[in-house]
Amino acid sequence: MSFTDDVRKLLRENIRDYGMFIALFVIVLFFTLATDGLFISPRNLVNLVNQTGFIAVLAVGMTLVIVIRHIDLSVGFLAGFLGAIAAIALEQWGLPLVIVIPLVLGFGILAGRLTSFMVADLGIPAFVATLAGWLGYRGALQLVTRSTGTIIITDDAFNAIGNGFIPDVFQSTLILPDRHKFTLILGLIGIAIFISGEIINRSRLQKQGDEVSSTGMLILKLVLGSILIGGIAWILGGDRGLSWTAVVVLIVAISYHFMTTRTVLGRHIYAVGGNPEAAELSGISVKRVTHVVFGSMGMLSALAGILFASRLQSATTTAGTLFELDAIAAAFVGGVSAAGGVGTVIGSLVGALVMASLTNGMNLMGIDISYQYIVRAIVLAAAVIFDVTTRRTEK
Amino acid sequence: MEQTSETKLVVEMRNIKKHFGAVQALRGVDLQLAQNEVLGLVGDNAAGKSTLMKVLSGAYIPDGGDIFIEGKKVSFANPMDARRQGIEMVYQDYALANNLDVAANVFMGREVVGINLGPLGIMDYPHMEQETQNLLQRLNIQIASVRQKVERLSGGQRQAVAIARATAFDAKVIIMDEPTAALSVAAIDQVLELVKELKAQGSSIIIISHRLEDIYRVSDRMIVLRQGRKVSDTPVEGDIHEFRERVVAYMIGARDDFAEEPVAG
Repeated sequence: MSFTDDVRKLLRENIRDYGMFIALFVIVLFFTLATDGLFISPRNLVNLVNQTGFIAVLAVGMTLVIVIRHIDLSVGFLAGFLGAIAAIALEQWGLPLVIVIPLVLGFGILAGRLTSFMVADLGIPAFVATLAGWLGYRGALQLVTRSTGTIIITDDAFNAIGNGFIPDVFQSTLILPDRHKFTLILGLIGIAIFISGEIINRSRLQKQGDEVSSTGMLILKLVLGSILIGGIAWILGGDRGLSWTAVVVLIVAISYHFMTTRTVLGRHIYAVGGNPEAAELSGISVKRVTHVVFGSMGMLSALAGILFASRLQSATTTAGTLFELDAIAAAFVGGVSAAGGVGTVIGSLVGALVMASLTNGMNLMGIDISYQYIVRAIVLAAAVIFDVTTRRTEK
Repeated sequence: MEQTSETKLVVEMRNIKKHFGAVQALRGVDLQLAQNEVLGLVGDNAAGKSTLMKVLSGAYIPDGGDIFIEGKKVSFANPMDARRQGIEMVYQDYALANNLDVAANVFMGREVVGINLGPLGIMDYPHMEQETQNLLQRLNIQIASVRQKVERLSGGQRQAVAIARATAFDAKVIIMDEPTAALSVAAIDQVLELVKELKAQGSSIIIISHRLEDIYRVSDRMIVLRQGRKVSDTPVEGDIHEFRERVVAYMIGARDDFAEEPVAG
């Protein structure tokens, strides 16, 4: 197959997968030009990632919830409430950080299981059950912060999660003295994993006699991907390196990506999303999958609450307001289908990045907040329209 | 079919009864399926044929009667029980997940793991894809790639995948509920050819169908149910017109072979 045919075929068949990356690229390019490079400055990129972290984490969990045809409106205030619990545990109960984090994550899982109890065991529509959660956790957040108001967090280690950077373990004044070497090394590892993964996957398809893209195409893909990963690592390495928030998001993204694509549990989640009756008849417990997905959503809500409280170095009375809708929007922009069964963790992550980049870029340009909402509305609608129309023409 | 000593029965259902409230859906039905036999099950709506098959596949628990699989008495609490005993059901509406690929559907709920970590077990993709490919090849099912999503397949291909899935795990009996109901003429041929292929390879099959010509083309024997009772149990023979007339006579109650004695055969 010739190279140009290949490009055309690849675009046609994978337009849905690549569409998002192309959109993100266009947005980044536009804001970079419009702000004279300020947008991709290390400081701003770090800011962007740290601002998106808690939404990205929620979007990952929300992806799975929507894939199994449910919704969770309670995650915003649940995150706010659990962030406040973390602050109280640190400041008032005097618990050490190593206890507080697992404790709060555990509370998150319990909260998710409460939701799934209502949804899976009692058969209440998720919209209603989680709307009740939305009200309840909002009340709970106000209740625990009523006497103190905003709780200031003084634990430096906790605050580093939302504001700190990974240490440079390879400090050296000889090689690249101005760069954060550990970040660069992580970038190199990322490139190596990306390239080997692509090559292994391709040879597996080839061995089974499937049609694979031409060598030229493969090289192009490998080069572009490597430039992307390397570029980000280089830019971040020019400043203070990788932020802890970025590390947390990466760990969540990689483990959830692996879980959804490689494990039996992931397969079952998508089977339930695609056809719950068929899944049940095949011996998959739809109830159990629902419990797991909402449990994970609760845990990620707790994690989002920790990230947000850490970023603000405090727990506020209104923390978490509208997070749930940002997470849902990110998932839909990232290609999740409201009909269920379709959507990827990586897609939602890119969706979260697209929405955050819009806000961040328009802020840098000094665009009025009212226009910002309208622009984001158009992007959300356009993404879903694009998704629906490409899905239709595929058939 | 005459029950002779050399005929091995895969399924024997004796005096199966099932009621829903005041409605007697099954009034003591007997059914026998021999090894490597294709049995057609026909009847008007509400004659009890789907109910009978749901009893056999574990979806319904009967009020009375016994089920024997290869001579061993069994009782099923749910479809998974029945499946473990080698009874596979192909549902009318395919029961496939359209968002997943062919291999994923064939192995749905029975994923093969390379590294076993319970629910977090890591799937062995190459193994499952290879097995699926072998399966499709063996049954002569034409599908470009086992990695193709089911939503991209035609109706006939989907039904073929659903049937292939039922045969993938050494099923003793394959029950097909209206396998041709929603298909085009070409797709119906495809599915019937597949049924013949399965028989040639030794499967034992029960087919429920409204389309008498389908039953005529693939079945060795046919049972007619009417109002929860078996009214006919005969080999499929003669020409199609004669066959059709005979079946319809049983279906509307004009003929009844079991009016007096409850068990024959």
